[in-house]
Amino acid sequence: MALEAGKGLSSQSSSSRMGFAPLPLRRRKSLGVSNGSRVTMMAADVVDKPKKGSKEIAKDTLLTPRFYTTDFDEMERMFNTEMNKNLNEAEFEALAAEFKTDYNQVHFVRNPEFKAAAEKLQGPLRQIFVEFLERSCTAEFSGFLLYKELGRRLKKTNPVVAEIFTLMSRDEARHAGFLNKGLSDFNLALDLGFLTKARKYTFFKPQFIFYATYLSEKIGYWRYITIYRHLKTNPEYQCYPIFKYFENWCQDENRHGDFFSALLKAQPQFLNDWQAKLWSRFFCLSVYVTMYLNDVQRTAFYEGIGLDTRKFDMHVIIETNKTTARIFPAVLDVENPVFQEKLENLVTLNKKLIAIGESKAPEALKSLQKVPVITSFVTELLAMYLMRPVDSGSLDFVDVEPQVVY
Amino acid sequence: MASALCFVAAAPCAAASCSVESSTTTASTGLRRGLHSARVAAVVQPARSLSCGSSLAGTALQSRVCNKSVRPAGVERGTAAAVVRAVAAERVVEALEPSQTSTDQKTKYYFLVANAKFMLDDEEHFQELMQERLRNFSERNKEQNFWLAIEPKFLDKFPDIAKRLNRPAVALVSTDKVWITFMKLRMDRVLRGEYEADTLKEALASNPVELKFEKPQVWKAPYPKYEGEWWTPFLLKEAEQTAS
Repeated sequence: MALEAGKGLSSQSSSSRMGFAPLPLRRRKSLGVSNGSRVTMMAADVVDKPKKGSKEIAKDTLLTPRFYTTDFDEMERMFNTEMNKNLNEAEFEALAAEFKTDYNQVHFVRNPEFKAAAEKLQGPLRQIFVEFLERSCTAEFSGFLLYKELGRRLKKTNPVVAEIFTLMSRDEARHAGFLNKGLSDFNLALDLGFLTKARKYTFFKPQFIFYATYLSEKIGYWRYITIYRHLKTNPEYQCYPIFKYFENWCQDENRHGDFFSALLKAQPQFLNDWQAKLWSRFFCLSVYVTMYLNDVQRTAFYEGIGLDTRKFDMHVIIETNKTTARIFPAVLDVENPVFQEKLENLVTLNKKLIAIGESKAPEALKSLQKVPVITSFVTELLAMYLMRPVDSGSLDFVDVEPQVVY
Repeated sequence: MASALCFVAAAPCAAASCSVESSTTTASTGLRRGLHSARVAAVVQPARSLSCGSSLAGTALQSRVCNKSVRPAGVERGTAAAVVRAVAAERVVEALEPSQTSTDQKTKYYFLVANAKFMLDDEEHFQELMQERLRNFSERNKEQNFWLAIEPKFLDKFPDIAKRLNRPAVALVSTDKVWITFMKLRMDRVLRGEYEADTLKEALASNPVELKFEKPQVWKAPYPKYEGEWWTPFLLKEAEQTAS
C-alpha cells in the first residue's frame, strides 16, 4: 500500500502521520540521534515489547495507521471460481501477468547518496523525515501482511487471485524494506516483527477492504507521483534521495489499485446498487478527510520539500477522485469549492479537539468540552457526505446502448 | 446541514463529464456485452503473397507450414533481401525471407482506441505506463510488441467503433492480448477490438494528422504538465513506414 495512503476512517497518510504516535523504532547505534529519552531498554525476546532499544509503541488514535484483517472465509467464497460465475478470469490473468513482469525488480537499489543526505538533514526536518519514513514503512508493511495472508488463504479456491495477492505482498515488502533501510540512514530501524504482533488489527468486511484498499493504493499513486514530479521541477528541495525512486515505485501502487478495481468488477453487487453508492461516497470521504487532517497537521514536512500542503492535498484528492470515478458507482464533488471550505472547518474543529485534549483541565471537564466540538465535526462531515455526489463507474457496466463518445 | 442540499455541482470535472451512471438494474454480464458488441472481427483480406497466397486465409494449417517467422516485431529485423511486390494500388507487401515466400499467415493485433486528447494528453499515467514498459522491454532485451497509431487506417474496418470516436483518434496496438486486457482495465474509457494484418506496417498504417493539444486553462497541479510529443517512440518509425 502506499506510503501516504489514507486507509479507511482510521487511515493515515504516511508522510503525514500523527507525530505523537511513535512506533517501535530500534536504535541501530547509540550514537548521534537525539530522542534518547524515548528509547526503552528491553530484553529482545520478550514478546510484548519491542526489541532492545526500540521506541515505545504508539498509542492508538483515530488517525493512527492501522493494520487490517478481514473475513478470510468470505473472501474464499467470493473468489471461488465454482461458486462465482462473474469472475472475469481474463482480467485476473492479465493482472497476474503484469505483476509477474515485475517492472521494479531491480529498481530499489540504494546508493551512497542516502547516508550522506541523511547526515545533512539536521534539526526539526530530521525528525520529520524519520517520522515520514517510519509511517511510510508501517503503511507498506501493513499492506504486506494483509496481502500475504490473502495470498495464502485463497491459494486453493482461486490460484490466480491468490498469486496476485502474493505478488503484491512482494511489492509491499520491497517498499517497506527500502523505507526501513532509509531509517538506517538515521541510525534507526523499525522492528517489524514486533509490530506484527503488537499492533491492533482493524477488522473490515471484504467489501470495505476493497473500497478502502482501492482508494489507499490510488491515493498513494497520486501522492508519490505528485511529489516526484514536483521535485523533478524543483530539484533544490530534493533533500533525500528516496523521492527519486517514486516515479517507478508509484506504478506499483497504481497497479495494485487496478487489481482492486478488477476485484470489485468481479463482485458487481458492490458496485451496482444504491447502497454501493452510499458506501463508495463514505469511503471516499473518510480517506480524503483523514489525509487532509493528517497532512495539515504536519505542514512542516511538505513545506520542507517545497510543497504547499493544502494545494498538494487538494490536487491529490481531485485526481484520486477522478481515478476512482472509473470504478466506484459514485464519488464526491470534490471540485466544488464548498468541499474544501468544509475540509477547512474540520481542520479548525480538529485543532480545537487537540487543544482540549492537551489542556490541563480534569478529564471529565475535557469530555464535556469536547461534546459541542464533536457535534460540529460530525455535522460538517455529514454535510460533506450529503453534498450532491457525482455518478460514476466503469464503462464496462454501461447500458447496452452505445451513447458514449470516446 | 440544510445548506448541503442547495449545493449544486458547480464544475463537473473532466472525469465526471464523460462518466456514465452505471446501471443498477441489469446484471453485469449482460452489460459487458454493451461495449464489446463493438468488437468486430476484422475483415480478413485475401492473402496477397505469391506462393502461399493462392488460397484464402483460414487455412491455418497452411499458414503454419508456410510461415514460421513472420512476426510483427520481426519485420524490422530480417530485411536482408526484402522482396517487394506491388499488389493493390498503393499497398506493398513485405516478405521477410524470400525463400519462405509467405505472408499469408496473418498476425493478430489487439487494440484500444479513444480520442487523441484522452490517450495522449489527459491520461498522464498512460504515458508513464508506456515508458515503463518500453524500459522493461529494453532491460530484458524483449522485442517491442506494442505501438501507438494516430488515426489508424484499420478503423475503417470498424464502423461501429469509428462512429463512437472523437477524432483524431489514437489506438494502442499490441500483439499481446493479455497486456491489452490489462490496459483496458486501466484505461476503462476506451474501445477494444482486434484485427489481423500481414505486416506490422499494414497493421499500423495511419493517416497523417498533426496533433496539437491546447494547454489547459486551469492547471492546479504543483508540477508542470508533461510536455513534448512523448508518443513518438511508440509510433512505427518513419524508416519502417517507408521501407519497401
